[in-house]
Amino acid sequence: MANLFVDGKYGDRGIILGNEAIARGALEAGIGYASMYPGTPASEIIIALDKNKKNIKNIYTEFSLNEHISLHGAIGASWSGIRSLCAMKNVGLNVASEPAHFLAYTGVKAGLVLAIGSDPGAPSSSNEQDDRWYSLHTYMPIIEPSNIQEAKDFTKKAFDISEQFSFGIVLMAPSRLCHNAGILHFGDCLNRDLISGNFKRDPENYLNLFNLAVKNHKKYLKRNELLKKYVYNSELNMIIDAQISSIKSSRIGFVSSGVIYSHLVEALNFINADDYKILKLGITFPLSEELIGKFLDNVDEVVIVEEAEGFLEFQIKKIAFEIGYHGKIHGKNIFKAYGELTIDDVIKGVAGFLRKAVPEHFSAAINKSEILSDKIPQRMGTFCVGCPHRATIYSILKASGYSNTDSKDRDVIIAGDIGCYTLGLLPPYNAMDWLTCMNSGLSIGQAISIADKSKKIIALVGDSTFYHSGIPVLMNAIQNNSNILYIILDNSWTAMTGHQKTPSTKTEIDGTPIPNSVNLKDLLKSLGVSYIKTLDPNSVKRFSVIIKEALKEKGLRVIIAKRECILQEERRKKIKNIKFKLENNPEIIYELQKERCVKCDECFVELACPAIQSAKENGINNGKEYYFIDPVSCVKCGVCYEVCPNSAIRKVEFNLHPSINSESQLCFLNNK
Amino acid sequence: MKKFNIAITGLGGQGIITAGTILKNAVLDSVMQDVSGSERRGGAQREGYVEAFVKYIFYDSIAELQNSRKNMHSPMIASGDADALISLEPLETLRAVSYINKNSVIIFNTNTHIPISVRMGKDKYPELDDILESLYGITNRVFYYDFNKLSLENFGSIISCNVISLGVLFAKTNIPVSKNVIENILLKGSKAEDNLKAFNIGLNL
Repeated sequence: MANLFVDGKYGDRGIILGNEAIARGALEAGIGYASMYPGTPASEIIIALDKNKKNIKNIYTEFSLNEHISLHGAIGASWSGIRSLCAMKNVGLNVASEPAHFLAYTGVKAGLVLAIGSDPGAPSSSNEQDDRWYSLHTYMPIIEPSNIQEAKDFTKKAFDISEQFSFGIVLMAPSRLCHNAGILHFGDCLNRDLISGNFKRDPENYLNLFNLAVKNHKKYLKRNELLKKYVYNSELNMIIDAQISSIKSSRIGFVSSGVIYSHLVEALNFINADDYKILKLGITFPLSEELIGKFLDNVDEVVIVEEAEGFLEFQIKKIAFEIGYHGKIHGKNIFKAYGELTIDDVIKGVAGFLRKAVPEHFSAAINKSEILSDKIPQRMGTFCVGCPHRATIYSILKASGYSNTDSKDRDVIIAGDIGCYTLGLLPPYNAMDWLTCMNSGLSIGQAISIADKSKKIIALVGDSTFYHSGIPVLMNAIQNNSNILYIILDNSWTAMTGHQKTPSTKTEIDGTPIPNSVNLKDLLKSLGVSYIKTLDPNSVKRFSVIIKEALKEKGLRVIIAKRECILQEERRKKIKNIKFKLENNPEIIYELQKERCVKCDECFVELACPAIQSAKENGINNGKEYYFIDPVSCVKCGVCYEVCPNSAIRKVEFNLHPSINSESQLCFLNNK
Repeated sequence: MKKFNIAITGLGGQGIITAGTILKNAVLDSVMQDVSGSERRGGAQREGYVEAFVKYIFYDSIAELQNSRKNMHSPMIASGDADALISLEPLETLRAVSYINKNSVIIFNTNTHIPISVRMGKDKYPELDDILESLYGITNRVFYYDFNKLSLENFGSIISCNVISLGVLFAKTNIPVSKNVIENILLKGSKAEDNLKAFNIGLNL
């Protein structure tokens, strides 16, 4: 079957993810360079290009070590005349904010688009920041698509605007768009044979020092004024007239952008209110005073419907003041500034403002779910079955002398960081004392080791996070002789965002060796760490003992908890099993013997592996509860076998005889 | 304009997003159809809450399709606005009741997956009877099966729960999409034979 993402042309239609639509727009615009540091919800933008790169002529894709590098990379490509796409999650712009602040000074050569996946409600981020505010000082224009089609079309258009006004363009996509899937009408791609780089010196623009910086500052303010004229006429902004004209209601107008605009349109239809004007903003920075003025002229009251702190409201109120608008401007007085603004929030807000009734089935559903909500236990994510991080967190808690469930007053401080192991902050482990941004663990921890000498401190970091920006932190800690135990949880991959390689990944998933991979231990040695131990976290007893010993030492100590992500290990096994189905390795299963189990909860609650489950005897409600290992979910990591203090978990090894090696047995054993 | 909204919920690794994608592909059959619907993904790779929305839109006319007040659709389903709810875990069925109304069809998997708070003894996992009582308090069109068992018995793994549940969706609701369209989509995908079989198991439940 043809791959539409790569080969699609004008007239083709397909179902595609928002992130893929952004990538496709960039492809249609003829990009030759794409980079990112992976981060939810933006990851699939570059993944889509990377996984198809063999079939795309003249494309370079890169999962950079951090966002600072990846945006600089896109700038380098642009200056060489190659259209470039850089993607990141919302907080990524904090890391990339330095290059972002210079981009308006230097300008671009070929078009550059920075696609940002924002995360309102923060289901997978450590804050809800609205990166649009950055543009008040980076001067990067912002484009906000509302649906899948616009995600593709606006991205394509953004490259033209970028070149015409010599700005890097921000394309904002909240997770609801990144992970929306819908119909895309494809367009044609520019001829990829024409992509070739040619860097030309341009010291006038690229050098920023002393008066040159001032000169460039002045230049971009001028370009921004030109851009505003373009914005006034751009088809990316749209004034939608009221469907039915009635003198009274047509004096109310709505302003919105992005996904929230799609909520607004649906909300107005939901409450049968189609007699209001709407200004849909596709370009939300800079705003055109002329366009806003034109819209305000025809309304006495305007409601700005947007997420977070009210970036549009801030700008529109300023314009309203300048043009002497006398009407009322509503926004954050109706819609909350925190959390995700859902379709429900918009329906309620709009209906309330217009004094319109909401449909009965809507309010009934809200009431019902409010009544039921107390009955529903929260479900929080946890480590995958067999995840080595579970063993690491468990070992740390045991070595610190604390039961997992009672960790409030411990005097071993544990610093968290960003990655899969972050899940250790949730119950039952409660194993982290702070979590903010990348590499905040050791950075804050090293200072606490100076400020409070009475405490023992463990700082955690994953391999990808360590390479992102952890090396300078570690060097700082070494130079200042910090007293801290640094545990690097090395699972060989940037696992949470879909298993991108880290600098120390040694082999591809299919077994191909990766040249130039970094030896983490050698790197640490060269940085001056003298205490380095490498351990398999799944050997929990040994691991706890080593952590206990390390906690007694002084200075900076490093333990590398080294074991590959279980999902990748399982994938490797699958590939291998297809190749060597009849290999003679013994099969292992773990079995929880009901009669030996005293339900001490060491495996069920403390380790909390989801493969260990409970059931009622004879399947009846008041039957005696017992624990068992679910053979379907168990991946035979053996950690529960090690933690059981009563030898109730049995390890069974057996060799499969080729004659009884039936398909169904193999399927069962491999959990396929 | 006719609409049909489906909410699919469950846990990471159960194939929630795949089920949504299969359904969404059905709209490519006609230019008068549209689809929207976001997915909750990321965060925990496994065990966490996952949901996918499928919002079918059937336009009455080309004029409606081109009307900017009609052709833009939120990726979310408003409270009470789902025609069908598929849930692959009982507790998640209860959590998703905000999407359903008195005419909605609920299809859910009885195989439980207890959350950590229940393991720790801090919360109680509701009994199936209690869950059913709450659901029947909203709609009487509730259908529940042990999809895990059905999948294990027929395919030796739990991987087919999602496609079996899609079969049930076509058997128990008045979804305005032909089941042949879904069968054709499954035929073109990977593991076509297993998926077609799973879909038919669901159709006959």
